[in-house]
Amino acid sequence: MNTATAIDFMRRLRAGLDSGLELPEALTRGATALPRDARETLNRIVDRLEGDYSEDEWGFDEDFAELVEPFFAFLYESWWRVQVVGAERVPGHGRGLLTSNHAGILPWDATMISMALLREHPLPRYPRFLVLNWAFDLPWISSAMRKVGGVVASPFNAMRLLEQDHLVAVFPEGVKGTGKPYSERYRLQRFGRGGFVEIALRTGSPIVPVAVVGSEEIYPKLADLPAVARLIGSPYFPVTPTFPLLGPLGIVPLPSKWRIEFLEPIETASYGPEGADDRALVLELSERVRDQIQQALYANLVARGPAFI
Amino acid sequence: MAGRRVLITGVGSHVGSLLAQRLERDPEVEHVAGLDTRRPKVALERTELIEADTRDPEIARLIPPTGADTLVHEQIVRQPGPGMSSRAMHDVNVIGTLQLLAACERTPTLRTIVVRGSAGVYGAEPHAPQFFKEEMARLFPLRTRFQRDVAEIENYFDTYARRHSAVSCTMLRYQPAIGRGLRTQMTRYLSQPVCPAFMGFDPRIQLVDIDDALEALVAAVWNPVRGAVNVACPGTIGLARMIRLAGKRALPIAAPLFGAVTSTGRRLGLDTQSDDFERLLHYGRGVDTRRLTEEVGYTPRRTTSEAVESWAEEAKAAA
Repeated sequence: MNTATAIDFMRRLRAGLDSGLELPEALTRGATALPRDARETLNRIVDRLEGDYSEDEWGFDEDFAELVEPFFAFLYESWWRVQVVGAERVPGHGRGLLTSNHAGILPWDATMISMALLREHPLPRYPRFLVLNWAFDLPWISSAMRKVGGVVASPFNAMRLLEQDHLVAVFPEGVKGTGKPYSERYRLQRFGRGGFVEIALRTGSPIVPVAVVGSEEIYPKLADLPAVARLIGSPYFPVTPTFPLLGPLGIVPLPSKWRIEFLEPIETASYGPEGADDRALVLELSERVRDQIQQALYANLVARGPAFI
Repeated sequence: MAGRRVLITGVGSHVGSLLAQRLERDPEVEHVAGLDTRRPKVALERTELIEADTRDPEIARLIPPTGADTLVHEQIVRQPGPGMSSRAMHDVNVIGTLQLLAACERTPTLRTIVVRGSAGVYGAEPHAPQFFKEEMARLFPLRTRFQRDVAEIENYFDTYARRHSAVSCTMLRYQPAIGRGLRTQMTRYLSQPVCPAFMGFDPRIQLVDIDDALEALVAAVWNPVRGAVNVACPGTIGLARMIRLAGKRALPIAAPLFGAVTSTGRRLGLDTQSDDFERLLHYGRGVDTRRLTEEVGYTPRRTTSEAVESWAEEAKAAA
C-alpha cells in the first residue's frame, strides 16, 4: 500500500466520522479507497467490531486464528525455518492426543505444532492445546490463547475435547519443561504422573508422540530469580542473554532452526477405558512415550545440525 | 394416582409466577399453592396464594395442610437489590431454607423437592475447567457471600435428602437467565449505555434463556433426579461479542482499577454488580449440561448465542 492510498483512506474515514457515521460504517466507507485484499481484511475487522463472528463453546475463533496466521507463518518460514517430518502420521480425522516435549518459557512450540499440521498435513485442522494455567490470569494473553485454541490445562478439558473428536496437544513436562535451564536442553523432565495416558485410555484416543527440536534454544535460560517470580506470581522468572537486559525486547525469541517430528501413533483403544485404572499400564505407556520422544529428540538434533545457522 | 400437588416458594418472582401459570394449565396437576409475600407477576387462576415469608416459623403450620407432594424452592435471592443488605439476602437464602425444611419435616406427603439454585456455586475462576460438571462444586474455595449461601442451601437439602430416602431432591444449578420481561443482573448490565469490562479479558459467558429456564424446572418436577443438575443453554459466548450483539459498547477498565471505578459508580447512584457478577465478567464460566439432557430429559431449545440474539431483538423492538 503506498502513501497516497493511505492518505485517501484516512481522508474518507475522517469524512465519514465527521458526517456522523459510527466507526464501523466509516471504516467500510474508507475501505473503498484500498486495494482489494486490504479491503477484505478490513471488512473482516469491521465484522468483528459489530459482533458478527462466531466462537465455538471453547472460545476458539477460526476467523481470529486466520487473521493472526501471517504472523505465525513468518515465524514458521523465516524466523525458525521449521522442517517437518511425519505429519501424515497424525490421524486425519477423529480424536488424537499429541504429546510433545515442552520448552521455551512461552508456548511457541504449541503454535508451531499447529502451523506444521496446517501446512504439512494432507487434511489440515487446528489442534487444541492445553496451556499452563497462569496464562489465563493475564490480560490479552488469556483471550488470545483461547481464540487460537488454547484451553486451561485441566484433565476435564482434555477429556471433553477428545470426546468431541478433536486433536489435542499436551505437554506432560509442564512447567518443569518450560522452566528448565539451558544446560539441560533436550533432556526430558518427568512426565507428571502419567495423567495424559489416563486421558487417552479413558477416551480411546491414539497417542501421537511429537519431538520438537529448536524450541529449547529460543530463550536460553541461564538463571532463575525465584524471589521476583513469587512477587509477580509466575512459576519462574527467567534470565536469558536478552531478558530482562533488553526489557520487553527480550521477549523476542532467538532465531534457532526447528525440526518437528511426528512419530507413529500408539493405539490405546484396545486396552478399553478400564485400562486407565491400571497404574502399571499407565506408567508403562507413559514411560514408552517419553522414551520415544527422547530418542527422536537426539536423532533430530543430529539431523538438524547447528542450532542457529 | 391422583394429580400432583405442587407448592412453589417465591411465587412472586418472575420465574415463580410463570411456573405457577404453567402448572395451573396442566391437567395432570391437581393443586398449585404459592408461598410469597409479594404478588405474582402474572394473573393466576387456581393457584392458592399463601401470604407468608419463608423466614417465618409460621410456615411450619401453613405448609402441611396443602398436602403438597412436590416442593419447588424458588425463594433464593441472587443479588441484594436496592434497599436490601447482604445480611438480609443471607437471611432469606439460608434461614428461609432452614425454616422451609423444618416445615417439610412435618409434611409427610412430600415426595419431590426441586430447588432452583445457581451455577454460581462453582464460582468464576481463571484456572477452572471450561465446563463444570456437577461433581466439581468444590474444586475451588467459596469466595463470595452468595457462593457460600448457595453451598449452604445445597448442603441442607443434601442432608435432608439423606435422612428422608423417600424424598428425591433435585438441586438445579442455573446459569444467569436472560429473556423477555426478565430483569436480572445480566439484562440490567446489557441495558446500560456502556458496559464496564475487564481490559484484556474476553470471558466465555453461558446463559439460560427464560423459556428454557422455565421448561427445565417443569421437566425436573415431572422427572426428578437425585442430586445436582446444571441448567444452561448449550454453548458459550464471548463477553465482547455479547455486548456487541446487545448493540452496546464495552468500557474497558484495567483489572486493578475495576473495583474502584464500579464503587465510584455505586456512590453516584449508577447500577452496581455483585461480587459474583464481577468475577463472572472477569473470568466467565461454562457448565456441562449432559445430565440435564440425558437424565432429566430436557434439551434446551436455544443456544446461548441465540438466547442473547433474541433478547437483543426484543429489547430493540421495545425501545
